[in-house]
Amino acid sequence: MRSIQRRLSLGLISVMVVVGVVLAQVSLWLFEVGLQRYLEAGLRNDSESLLVALVRGPQGLQLDERHLSPAYQRPFSGHYFRIDFADSHWRSRSLWDQDLPLLPQPGLHSNLQLGPDGQQLLVLRSDYRRLGQSISISVAQDYTPVRESFQRMRQIGLGLGLAGLLLILILQRLTVHRALRPLEKAREQIAQLQQGQRSQLDEQVPAELEPLVAQINHLLAHTEDSLKRSRNALGNLGHALKTPLAVLLSLASNEQLDAHPELRRILKEQLEQVQQRLNRELNRARLSGDALPGALFDCDAELPGLLATLNMIHGEHLALSYVSPSGLQLPWDREDLLELLGNLLDNACKWADAEVRLSVVETAEGFVLSVEDDGPGIPEAQRDQVFSRGTRLDEQTHGHGLGLGIVRDIVETWGGVLVLGESEWGGLKVEIQLPRR
Amino acid sequence: MRLLLVEDHVPLADELIAGLQRQGYAVDWLADGRDAVYQGCSEPYDLIVLDLGLPGVPGLDVLTQWRAGGLATPVLILTARDSWAERIEGLKAGADDYLTKPFHPEELYLRIQSLLRRSKGQANQPTLKAAGLHLDEGRQCVVRDGADIQLTAAEFRLLRYFMLHPEQILSKSHLAEHLYDGETERDSNVLEVHVNHLRRKLGKSVIETRRGQGYLFGGQAS
Repeated sequence: MRSIQRRLSLGLISVMVVVGVVLAQVSLWLFEVGLQRYLEAGLRNDSESLLVALVRGPQGLQLDERHLSPAYQRPFSGHYFRIDFADSHWRSRSLWDQDLPLLPQPGLHSNLQLGPDGQQLLVLRSDYRRLGQSISISVAQDYTPVRESFQRMRQIGLGLGLAGLLLILILQRLTVHRALRPLEKAREQIAQLQQGQRSQLDEQVPAELEPLVAQINHLLAHTEDSLKRSRNALGNLGHALKTPLAVLLSLASNEQLDAHPELRRILKEQLEQVQQRLNRELNRARLSGDALPGALFDCDAELPGLLATLNMIHGEHLALSYVSPSGLQLPWDREDLLELLGNLLDNACKWADAEVRLSVVETAEGFVLSVEDDGPGIPEAQRDQVFSRGTRLDEQTHGHGLGLGIVRDIVETWGGVLVLGESEWGGLKVEIQLPRR
Repeated sequence: MRLLLVEDHVPLADELIAGLQRQGYAVDWLADGRDAVYQGCSEPYDLIVLDLGLPGVPGLDVLTQWRAGGLATPVLILTARDSWAERIEGLKAGADDYLTKPFHPEELYLRIQSLLRRSKGQANQPTLKAAGLHLDEGRQCVVRDGADIQLTAAEFRLLRYFMLHPEQILSKSHLAEHLYDGETERDSNVLEVHVNHLRRKLGKSVIETRRGQGYLFGGQAS
């Protein structure tokens, strides 16, 4: 999509150019017509003066020199006449060796070229009857100076028009920029939203943007709300299913079953399967996944609590530590990240002898989370199998089940990569590379 | 050891009470959060097992109110809500351990044992040791110098309490409060009988009688 700014500029320029050119041409033409009308009045005057100057002389008709304007005497003065009789014609002295052709019809004519200087003439032919003869008087005036000043006017007008256009463009750019500022602000806020730096767009926007912002905010609130509701519903469902499951598990250990070890074994096995499946699916359904995070995961605020919880569960003999740049915030949903780190660390704690370390590093591509323990680790040849379906890292350790399956689900949803390696203490190192969002 | 179980699911509560009683604990049971807020503070429990999804007052609020009221009794949270965010919330509210449903009963018993040891300052020990005695809580017998000594259920309960409180003077009424649940009639003569049985099995000096004060366990061994 082209930007609104560009579209507006292009539209404005084309409209301005078309309107400006048409307006300038029309006004010039109107002005010229008006001027010619004015000059025509002068010429008619001249022509009538000539008619008056025609007097009956000794050899018939003759011009009374006293009534003639001196301009008709000076060669190429710019004022000319021609008087046509039935069989002859007279020319003004100013015409010198040039001939002023007789116009075919009476009336005003322009664009007549004449003389060595190529003067543009405005010619008026008028027909009269005087002293029993029909006379046609043509009066001409040099139009070149007017033409030239017109040309100059046109150039000045063009220059002014261009300057005006430029000025208008700059002003328009400024205006549009100002007018679009709320849009730009909304765009920035949406970017912040994406990075999880804010949870709502600013409501203080112009009326045109209000529905858009309100709708986005509504959607955000709706997403957050439905996520919360579905998590709550899943929690309730889990509660409703797991409590009876706990009863059944407890019953399976009941001494009344001591006499039927086979029955007990099958019961326990099946219950285990139900439990694992339930946990896995409930956890998977609880993930917010790609939805915009309501709040950033603040490492400094969340990690100590998580480590303390793990210490509580696994005992104080484990030294749990974390390394992260202070003030680091991860742009993912808090509960998802807690689930990811909790399960990873929980797994590490089950295997570790004394030490577990979590480190969070920000790289150019995103973030790298790694969890290391000093347990037995996994031989390189078996690492690939760990994440294949049905294999659980923690299946030999007594615990809450689940293990790393949920970790893999979360990492996959975020488009990350999970790599198993060896920690510096010889235990397992799980490294998760998450791309920036 | 006297425990309070707060759990609203009756079949599970029945199972747990039966199991815990087999483990030699005196168990009081409540199903409503409002009762739990009051009774948790008013009775001298050694440990509380708390479910989070309670009618009346939610479990976490119950715990918060207990801790705000200065209750120091260790609390084990038992819940189906197993997300890490919820576990952290539980810890912040003042829980000492967190067990998610469904669970193996044995795991609950082990956690209760270790939580009790931890709360009495005997952390990091797989078995309970005091005054040269090892108490095997799984088999409910005591080991001295590699030799097993069998105990009755009542003796086991009494000895466990003594071993968790070595070198402390414990009055008869204190012992009765912690060894019997709220519904059992407390008869101090029964206690004397059990103390005498323990002395016969473990030696007279193990439990000293302080006249007018009560009993002292393990006072001479150290």
